[in-house]
Amino acid sequence: MMPTTRLAGILIPAMAFLSCLRPESWDPCVQVVPHITYQCMELNLYKIPNNIPTSVKELDLSFNPLRHLSSHSFSNFSELQVLDLSRCEIQMIEDNAYEGLNHLSTLILTGNPIQSLAMGAFSGLSSLQTLVAVEINLVSLEDFPIGHLKTLKELNVAHNLIDSFKLPEYFSNLSNLEHLDLSNNKIQTICHKDLQVLHQMPPFKLSLDLSLNPLDFIQQGTFKEIKLHELTLRSNFNSTDVMKTCIQGLAGLKINRLVLGEFKNERVIKHFDTSAAEGLCNLTIDEFRMTYFDDFSEDDISFFNCLANVSTISLVSLYLKRLEGLSKDFKWQHLKLTNSKFEHFPMLELDSLKKLVFTANKGMSTFIEVKLPKLEFLDLSRNGLSLKSCCSHSFWGTTRLKHLDLSFNDIITMSSNFLGLEQLEYLDFQCSNLKQASDFSVFLSLKNLLYLDISYTRIQIIFEGIFDGLFSLRVLKMAGNSFQDNSVPNIFKALTNLTFLDLSNCQLERVSQVAFGSLIKLKSLNMSHNRLLSLDLFPYKFLHSLQDLDYSFNRIVASNRQELQHFPSNLTSLNLTGNCFACICEHQSFLQWVKDHRHLLVGVTQMVCVKPLDMQGVPVLSFRNATCQMSKSVISLSVLAVLVVSVVAVLVYKFYFHLMLLAGCKKYGRGESTYDAFVIYSSQDEDWVRNELVKNLEEGVPPFQLCLHYRDFIPGVAIAANIIQEGFHKSRKVIVVVSQHFIQSRWCIFEYEIAQTWQFLSSRAGIIFIVLQKVEKSLLRQQVELYRLLSRNTYLEWEDSVLGRHIFWRRLRKALLDGKPWSPEGTADAESGQHEATTTI
Amino acid sequence: MKGFTAAFLIWTLISLNGGCSQAWPTHTACKDGSLEVLYQSCDPLQDFGFSVEQCSKQLKSNLNVRFGIILREDIKQLYLDITLFTKEESILSYSYPICEEDLPKFSFCGRRKGEQIYFAGPVNNPGFEIPQGEYQVLLKLYNENHSTVACANATVICS
Repeated sequence: MMPTTRLAGILIPAMAFLSCLRPESWDPCVQVVPHITYQCMELNLYKIPNNIPTSVKELDLSFNPLRHLSSHSFSNFSELQVLDLSRCEIQMIEDNAYEGLNHLSTLILTGNPIQSLAMGAFSGLSSLQTLVAVEINLVSLEDFPIGHLKTLKELNVAHNLIDSFKLPEYFSNLSNLEHLDLSNNKIQTICHKDLQVLHQMPPFKLSLDLSLNPLDFIQQGTFKEIKLHELTLRSNFNSTDVMKTCIQGLAGLKINRLVLGEFKNERVIKHFDTSAAEGLCNLTIDEFRMTYFDDFSEDDISFFNCLANVSTISLVSLYLKRLEGLSKDFKWQHLKLTNSKFEHFPMLELDSLKKLVFTANKGMSTFIEVKLPKLEFLDLSRNGLSLKSCCSHSFWGTTRLKHLDLSFNDIITMSSNFLGLEQLEYLDFQCSNLKQASDFSVFLSLKNLLYLDISYTRIQIIFEGIFDGLFSLRVLKMAGNSFQDNSVPNIFKALTNLTFLDLSNCQLERVSQVAFGSLIKLKSLNMSHNRLLSLDLFPYKFLHSLQDLDYSFNRIVASNRQELQHFPSNLTSLNLTGNCFACICEHQSFLQWVKDHRHLLVGVTQMVCVKPLDMQGVPVLSFRNATCQMSKSVISLSVLAVLVVSVVAVLVYKFYFHLMLLAGCKKYGRGESTYDAFVIYSSQDEDWVRNELVKNLEEGVPPFQLCLHYRDFIPGVAIAANIIQEGFHKSRKVIVVVSQHFIQSRWCIFEYEIAQTWQFLSSRAGIIFIVLQKVEKSLLRQQVELYRLLSRNTYLEWEDSVLGRHIFWRRLRKALLDGKPWSPEGTADAESGQHEATTTI
Repeated sequence: MKGFTAAFLIWTLISLNGGCSQAWPTHTACKDGSLEVLYQSCDPLQDFGFSVEQCSKQLKSNLNVRFGIILREDIKQLYLDITLFTKEESILSYSYPICEEDLPKFSFCGRRKGEQIYFAGPVNNPGFEIPQGEYQVLLKLYNENHSTVACANATVICS
């Protein structure tokens, strides 16, 4: 007893403990791509797992308490390209820790509280391109042993404790360096000597991010003749004055892109004075970006004059209210004004401007004409603008426009058909409210247009010529509009080059057979979120280029074979999810079709039944044909059973007497009697007796033995004796063939009377009357007894028809079988009965 | 001996229940006389800290919030999905881009996996009066790869 308890006491907690452990404990890492990518994040590993194949190229060991990287830690993984050691509590990296990783291109050390970094810590990383050393308590770049990493392109030392911008001498080795992220450090001053090494680096290559450093001084001349690709200074200055001196300190810098500004959550300068930016005049800038400055001074935007030679300007979230007085000679080619506070559209007159992005400006509703003769790209989206007459070249003073975006605005009234804007290739009106768009051929002159988006513009399409003239159009998005009669009319006849068409959410109920006839190049068609009731593929039959058809979220219950046979020949993807499929046997062929075409049905596992109730939410694929076969087989089986039963019944009826014989198992005996029946008949009826009675009873089944006077009476014996001896004595029954002649025949009446007496004496109910022909009542009345008997007893009447005969013989046979002993016991009974009768006599 | 084994077994079973499940505790974001906001992290990987400065039935616009987390993912791009439930039914769904690659709005944008971030500042919310009742709010932050950055099930009880 004790050992079992003890065993249980050990085993059960052990099992509980094991089940509590995650399976990763013994096979820790997740294999993302076999032999290539392994994910071992947060598995409480204290050392580098040794069951990872040496062919691994990407290894994520983040959030494991590795704590210490000794030399040659990764020597097993010589193929490694990406190594993630984020937040591994690494405090110490020894010399040659990464030795052997000659293919490593990305090393991530984010969030490790490194205290001791050996001078040879990064030795051997001969291909390293990206080093992420964010939040590793780095105090200075001087001690960071990366001077030999000549392949380095990106060095991210953000969120550290670096307080000096002194770029060490070794940077002259890093000739491939493109990005240096020093954001979120403690740099306060930048001195002349700090950047001397930049002169030895390739010009216009390096991007520097100094955001979130509390800069307060940049020594004059520090950036003189320095050529950078990009410099980002966001949320660096705690006052306009500091900003002013620092920007003056940038004098002499030649730069491709300068980013100034703050972050939305790190605003320090309460009131931005544009004079702070005056120092920009001393810089050579190609692209200038400014973002998130509060309370932009309204009056003085003279600093823009310093930016006259800039080619690209982005002013994002600046709370600008005005932008006037710009010289038309400014070299600005691209201008972006986003999320500002313009009350009016700025009066822009810039001769060189090619691209204008003016978006998400709140509080402006009126639009004034501008003069931008070289404008090619215009984005006016998300402004809440109302345009009373759109659109012609006079609006923007350009005939070169190729890209026009007026999406997410207010009411835009179409009054002219893009006169002078024939160069347009891209046109977007999405989610604006288009008026009069379906009144005339609005786009008639846009023969170069490739892309048109009029989704959710509240157009009710009535006019069939709405898209006339768009011969080059490739993409047409018109979701969320409506059609007259909720049916697609023949509006696409001009769009012979169309490859993409979106008609979703258009309340469509029908598709006209000819609607898509001319779209011979169409590749993708979206008909989702409509009210289509069936999947009739006939309208798409001739779309030989169609590859992608989306019919999701309609009201399709099922589809029949006829509709599906017009399947477009090149279709590779069909989406039918979100429909109202009825998973019933009636649609079995459609459900089978779904199963057969599952390879091209998108999200086939998400296709669920809606009806019947018990199948609701069940995937269509799990509908089993067997359920239908079951009911079919049940039906066929029951039909078969009914057939069999009726055949058996017919057979039983037909072979009733054969069966009686079989059931008796033995040939029945006649007991005492030699004959089954003694036939009393008039010799006039002998023909009938011989041809019908004898033939049917003696040769039929079961065979009866009749006693007939012409055959069975013994010659030489008196007729009366024969009648009694052979006839009555040896027969069980007596058949009386009543006819006209019978009543007239004396012998017959004699026989009948004897039969009656005999019946009385032997107590047998043995007389069977057959009325061969109707007997006149007056004649019958002469034989009072016979008349009485016939009127009281059931008799057989001969009828010379097929049915009548059949019934006659059946009744007669039954009557003859009555009282016949079937078995030996029966025979015995009959014998004893006979005995009794005899003794009574 | 038997008693000891039985006690040990029971203890194992109880600790099994507690040890394997990963439900984070429920924190209070703010509590006032009429309004209480509770939240629970629904990210199996981690819990996080969050608080709202003012807490009143009449919700002020641009609320000051504090939020601290250790990132499990890079957030070059960051999106917020808010779904409001009442009585288990979703009544409002809202998606909002927080970080975009081009000129990111917030200083924490572009932070790296493994980095600790702490945000204290106003959020861009409209002011409105919260109707009486109990609401469930599901907040989900995810990055450009649709990996969850943070997830919270919040309960707002307004009486």
